[in-house]
Amino acid sequence: MNKTLLGYVPNESPIYAVHPFVKLFFLLIVSLFPMFVTAPDWNIGLMFVIIIFMWISRVNMKTLKIYVPVAISMGTIIFISYTVLGGTHPEFELLARVWGINFYWERVRDALVVYFRILPMIFTMVFFLSTSRERDIIVAMRSVKVPFVITYVFAMALRSAGMVLEDFQIVRQAEQARGFDPTGKSLPYKIRQYVMYMIPLFALSLRRSEEFTNALVARGYAFTGEFSKVKRADYILTHYSYKYFDYIFIALIGIAFIALLIFRYGFGYFLVEQSWLMRILHGAVS
Amino acid sequence: MSNVIEINDYSWKYVNTRTPAIEGINLTVEEGNFVGIIGPNGAGKTTLAYSIDGLIPGQYNGIKKGTVEVFGTEVEDYAKGELQQLVGVVFSDPEAQFTAMTVEDELVFGMENIGLTLPEIQERLDWVTELTELSHLLMKPPYEISGGQKQRVALAAVLAMRPKILVLDEPTSMLDPVSRGRIFEVLAKLKAEENNTIIVIEHSLENLIPLADQMVLMADGSILLQDETQAFFQQSKLLLDKGLYPPGAMHFFHELKMKNYYQGKYPLTVAEGIDLLREIKGS
Amino acid sequence: MTEKAPYIQVIDLDFEYPDGTQALKEINLEIVKGEFIALIGQNGSGKTTLSKCLNGLYKPTAGDIIVDGLNTKKSSIVQMVKRVGYVFQNPDHQLFNSNCWDEIAYGPRNIQLSDEEVKERVEEAIQVVGLPKIYHSEHPFFLSKGLRQRVAIASILALRPHVIIVDEPTTGQDMKQSLEIMDFLQDLNDKHGHTIIIITHDMPIVGIYARRVIAMAQARIMADGPTGEVFTQTEVLEKTFLAPPQITQLAQADPDLGFNPGTLTVEDMVGQFLEMMGRRE
Repeated sequence: MNKTLLGYVPNESPIYAVHPFVKLFFLLIVSLFPMFVTAPDWNIGLMFVIIIFMWISRVNMKTLKIYVPVAISMGTIIFISYTVLGGTHPEFELLARVWGINFYWERVRDALVVYFRILPMIFTMVFFLSTSRERDIIVAMRSVKVPFVITYVFAMALRSAGMVLEDFQIVRQAEQARGFDPTGKSLPYKIRQYVMYMIPLFALSLRRSEEFTNALVARGYAFTGEFSKVKRADYILTHYSYKYFDYIFIALIGIAFIALLIFRYGFGYFLVEQSWLMRILHGAVS
Repeated sequence: MSNVIEINDYSWKYVNTRTPAIEGINLTVEEGNFVGIIGPNGAGKTTLAYSIDGLIPGQYNGIKKGTVEVFGTEVEDYAKGELQQLVGVVFSDPEAQFTAMTVEDELVFGMENIGLTLPEIQERLDWVTELTELSHLLMKPPYEISGGQKQRVALAAVLAMRPKILVLDEPTSMLDPVSRGRIFEVLAKLKAEENNTIIVIEHSLENLIPLADQMVLMADGSILLQDETQAFFQQSKLLLDKGLYPPGAMHFFHELKMKNYYQGKYPLTVAEGIDLLREIKGS
Repeated sequence: MTEKAPYIQVIDLDFEYPDGTQALKEINLEIVKGEFIALIGQNGSGKTTLSKCLNGLYKPTAGDIIVDGLNTKKSSIVQMVKRVGYVFQNPDHQLFNSNCWDEIAYGPRNIQLSDEEVKERVEEAIQVVGLPKIYHSEHPFFLSKGLRQRVAIASILALRPHVIIVDEPTTGQDMKQSLEIMDFLQDLNDKHGHTIIIITHDMPIVGIYARRVIAMAQARIMADGPTGEVFTQTEVLEKTFLAPPQITQLAQADPDLGFNPGTLTVEDMVGQFLEMMGRRE
């Protein structure tokens, strides 16, 4: 298992044989699927498919637990905004009334639909991040002809994020070494601690940015002028080539998307009214 | 031998400081020379290095007087990016110089910038990774390698652009003795095999002295002393006055000379020091 | 010599980072009040991790560290910072306030001292490090590295820890500045009775100032003893990828020349030489 700035990736994985562009394509297209699917059944199915992909790619499932709090807090926010903050709707079916707050079936249903639309999107993102090293992402971007400046700024952003994270660790320790102990302290006190962090982090970035810029200039990088127009050889891309299965994967992803659209708009599939999961749930609560 | 760098009556004052960082210096460097620049912090060493590479006046605001010519042309007269192909600089902070997400990307970045073709890049990459012993690290991201390795990457990235002049500004000040030694090993190979002109600013003289042909002493923005290495260190008293301590062996013989126990030249390395000691004790 | 009770005891210490890197293995160590110790070793050998364990920033994965009778595992941050102070390598990581006075007062305020006491401690720390008055209301960011380091040391001193650990005090400093900082640490050791631990790569500095050397490699202690003795264990030093200072190498090079292989400074070597010449005449 290797740590990247965005998560953990496996040491060895069959997915490393796949061209980074295919992974990016998967991320961009498959995360669109839930937009056209309202029935949670299918979206849950998609999540299972992605989990199987993760398992095949030897993603360490233990590292995924860092996303659990995100999933839970997001679910809570969606549920509250649809029910507690959902307002009064006499036309809806009332399930319960707690402390003057109305819980309608339609609102609960909509909350679930939205939640199960967002979850698979997050799953595709997590799948992408836990199978792509930073360089894969940059290669993927370059292979679709994203201008060099943008990919390089992106790479540098990753690089500086890494430096800031390292600095942040040390600054936190330095604050502790000065007797700063947040345990059992009030919230304003804890907030102040984060404000204090900003000063050294800012000072460090100021000092480093000068050397960073100098290093870029010393590498012959010209932001403007004649030398900014040189044709770049893009050496890194020579390490990556499309193999026959890359084309197959791209085709499969594309076909799946077209099929989805045909079934949705041609035959009216994937609608919430057809969801047997919702039917069972409705029967249980009403 | 021709002069690759010619500096005449050069002064530089940053806009935000009261006194000039460099005042009225004259310096010429011959092609293929290895020059060591030493001096206390604040002497203007870094300013001098930046002036040779064009970072001054390109990246900084200030007032310039006099001339700084590299290969016979004033530094401002080069097009953006052109001078950097002739002069490469390595800085002291290994952290801030590593701008890419893998060692290989970092090495290739400079070569792509100057418009090299794929075969050229491949060839130079092979050469530079062998020279700096980085082959096993090519795929590593910056957070998985040590400070010493990062600094070798910075050096390699500059070398890959094949600059005729190499300027190193305290390249080993943040490294441990082993990593420091490895940087100087690379410089020794370059000195032996290539015809680069190399300028090194350093506090740690132990590694620098055996390689340097010429030494320059700077203090308060001026050059106080410039000479061939052996002759330079015969002025140890001046160096000590400026708070610069020669390496142990040399310092020892300097003390003996002060006490009239020794008259000859100072040893540049421990090995030379031992030979001298044997001679004295034998006589 | 009377046997003094150790101020710090490290017993079978192991430390592992959350990602599984084994940073310290089987460390056993005793530190007595008033010592001046240099912790040496290659980058990544575990020096910094060990010192962060000593002041409780890191808690042992296995084993115990007892500081002044307190186990670091069971002690609060406040208890630890009053005993062991740690000055980070880069002053920029540890300067949080907008002027030097507040910076030094930050620690004492964190441990909730009264205003008078904070003032007293700041004045004392300022006096010890010799920070000129014109800088008291300056922003630390704009001071030179040497001065920033002084402010960083002063802000640790204000917590009045007995042990002061300084991580690479001489990095990026010229020799004159290095000697100034080290002379100051020696004063803290001699005159104020503080125990000093420096982490450093600078072997001549170790030779001049440290009375005890702990050499580390690959998460373990390879050598521990008086500076002169450790520098004579050349084989052990090779394992730590370190070499003694040049003057010691010169003294050791040819045993027939009759120099003490534990020679640490140029003055010492000159003294020996003069004695030999005197004897010959």
